[in-house]
Amino acid sequence: MSVVQLESVGKSFMRRDGEQLEVLRNIDLDVPERSIVALVGASGCGKSTLLNIVAGLIPPDQGTVFLNGQKSSAFKDWRTMTYMFQEDRLFPWRTTAQNVALGLEAAGMPRKERRDRVMQVLELVGLEKFADSFPHELSGGMRSRAALGRSLVTEPSILLMDEPFSKLDPSIRTQMHDEVLRIAGLRQMSVLFVTHDVEEAVVLANKIVVLMPRPGRVKETREIALPYPRNPLSPEVAEEVRLLRLSL
Amino acid sequence: MKRSPLQMTQDRRLRLIGLRLLLIIIVVGLWGIGSLGAPAFILPSPRRVFGVWTQLVVTPGFWADFGITFYRIAMGFIFATVVGVVLGLLLGASRTLGDFFQPLLVVINTVSSSIWAIFALIWFGLSNWSTIFVVFMTAMPLILTNVWQGTSTVNRDFIELAQTFRMSRLQVLLKIYLPTILPQFFAGARLAFGFGARVSIVAEALGASSGIGYRLRQAADLVQTDQVFAWTLTLVILMIFIEAVLLKPLETHLFAWRKPRPA
Ligand SMILES: Nc1ncnc2c1ncn2[C@@H]1O[C@H](COP(=O)(O)OP(=O)(O)OP(=O)(O)O)[C@@H](O)[C@H]1O
Ligand SMILES: [Mg+2]
Repeated sequence: MSVVQLESVGKSFMRRDGEQLEVLRNIDLDVPERSIVALVGASGCGKSTLLNIVAGLIPPDQGTVFLNGQKSSAFKDWRTMTYMFQEDRLFPWRTTAQNVALGLEAAGMPRKERRDRVMQVLELVGLEKFADSFPHELSGGMRSRAALGRSLVTEPSILLMDEPFSKLDPSIRTQMHDEVLRIAGLRQMSVLFVTHDVEEAVVLANKIVVLMPRPGRVKETREIALPYPRNPLSPEVAEEVRLLRLSL
Repeated sequence: MKRSPLQMTQDRRLRLIGLRLLLIIIVVGLWGIGSLGAPAFILPSPRRVFGVWTQLVVTPGFWADFGITFYRIAMGFIFATVVGVVLGLLLGASRTLGDFFQPLLVVINTVSSSIWAIFALIWFGLSNWSTIFVVFMTAMPLILTNVWQGTSTVNRDFIELAQTFRMSRLQVLLKIYLPTILPQFFAGARLAFGFGARVSIVAEALGASSGIGYRLRQAADLVQTDQVFAWTLTLVILMIFIEAVLLKPLETHLFAWRKPRPA
């Protein structure tokens, strides 16, 4: 079964000068259960808009979104989906631990249980020493790891991520890839994520959807059948990266 | 030798205390010099005022007046805070409500506190409520305006994030709106308290039979200028005390998350 399914979704924005800007046209997209799907494409081709539509933040103008087989409008289990935005959106008045705990608070989890879960996740994203730091005391990479922690702490079954690792240095990025793969396998989580890093897409995803701009359309969908863990230096991965680069 | 940040903040604090002491010495010194050339009922000397003050403090009536004034200010301020915050949030949350009530707020802001004091006298007579009403009418619009303006600075991205977590309206209010408006609220509340405390004295002078304002008028009627000075000194000490012991530490605690400004 598909966890997320888009059928001929289209979206236009009204620009302030009154003209319609068509951002997405006729998008078909499918995230099968327990799969990782990567969205790649030029800047401005509507990737963030697409995630916003899936998250239910903006309605599509055309087409339908299905979540767990249900029409998005009839979907009830929204708390099983988390969305890591392109910006970290950490509350400046909350410490790292408090920021990470936000989703648990929203779900009404008691304080004591919250503490343990938060500490586990902080360890996972390597921020246990910065639990009591405020966002302005963290580096850019640490902030995006905190945002990742906030998305993981509620143990979602659907995870949406918009360029989650773009601010991390290569070694930590590889580490985060391993973690996401581990958690996805462990918790039977499905992931839909946006990236500009072609290699990242190939290392993580079962399926890569290439968008082309103005308006955003699906150009190509590539299945990556390589076994995990995937070594970025292996010739198979290098070959997939080369093919994807050609497609872009 | 390089000095540690802790030592540096200590240095800065010592320097500040030194400057404050110097200021007090200069002001009292000028006052003393001025009082040499004037009769005591115009400008009593600092020593004389201090003498009267130490006598005043030990009379039992002093603390009763002190307490009743403080009570009236506090009550007016608490009512103003509750009403101001709730209305400010409501007006900030709804554009229609905001546009509708905007003119009313302008009108309230243009009516001087002295006019409220006269109304209070007509409506409440010589009672606690006169003063409480005047403090309330002075402080409430200030708090309301600040909270209202604060709501417009709420980050839409944070609201969107809250939406993805399906946070309830109440949660959004408590976890996003409240922390966002807190600095503005605090600035408004501090201003409102200062204004409220000042007009409470006017209100008491006009429409009360107890309290610091009433004693001030009494002393002025009897041309006991040293008494007037002593009561004024009491007020100044009260306000400094509230600022240093209540507001400043509270502010430091509440806004620890703020990026420190470069020195
Ligand atoms: N709320 C909006 N109102 C008007 N136009 C919008 C709005 N949101 C997005 N757009 C426009 O839609 C287009 C796609 O934006 P989107 O943020 O989805 O791109 P993206 O693929 O995520 O780009 P990037 O890789 O740079 O993040 C852009 O041209 C943008 O200007
Ligand atoms: Mg984007």
